[in-house]
Amino acid sequence: MEYLALIYADEAVWERMPDAERESAYEQYAEFSRAARDAGVLVGGNELGSTSSATTVRVRDDERLVSDGPYAEVKEALGGYFILDCPTVDAALDWAARIPAAEHGAVEIRPVHVDEEA
Amino acid sequence: MQYALLVYSDQSSWEGIDEEEAARRRAESMPRWIALFEELGKVDPGALGRELEAATEAKVVRVVDGERVVTDGPFAETKEQLGGLFVTTLPDLDEAIRLAALVPAAQYGSLEIRPIVER
Repeated sequence: MEYLALIYADEAVWERMPDAERESAYEQYAEFSRAARDAGVLVGGNELGSTSSATTVRVRDDERLVSDGPYAEVKEALGGYFILDCPTVDAALDWAARIPAAEHGAVEIRPVHVDEEA
Repeated sequence: MQYALLVYSDQSSWEGIDEEEAARRRAESMPRWIALFEELGKVDPGALGRELEAATEAKVVRVVDGERVVTDGPFAETKEQLGGLFVTTLPDLDEAIRLAALVPAAQYGSLEIRPIVER
């Protein structure tokens, strides 16, 4: 069963972070990725560009409305994700708790929908 | 350039409806989803797409002073919730905007495009 782990953290903290500290944070993420890959749990994952680089698209009455910025302005923004293949939600929560952002931000776990026809 | 297309919509209209109604709604939007997947297959056959179970199924994990704290429900209590995502390699943002507008949920929800950080 796949679970999407959504990583929420304060972007301002990330942007103000000294380079050396950021490198060490990246190393922690690399360690998490290695552990999850070695355990056969890691399906994928990515870091997202900051919300200032976001573009939001809506279509209303066949008209395309494009705006700069994220869908919602929040203090702790979605900054990245992992897709984890785990037997149970508890196992997914165990892995999610090991994602570095769990210590200073939050990690949301969402089950991925399985299409029965596929 | 890689982009994440985040699909946000108000999921409350799906709460409490029966399987039949859910199936009817899915069937109704199916041609538009098929059109999107055809187009996505042309521009990036390797695109990743995932649909999520409802946000009511979400759990949030935090580690506070070394202790794991788990809460039910999504992290952000917004009207529109993340319902799925696509990750795709595209030539530029204009192409990402074009594809985002083809996602059926763009007509009743919001598509947020975020560049993927390449390191």
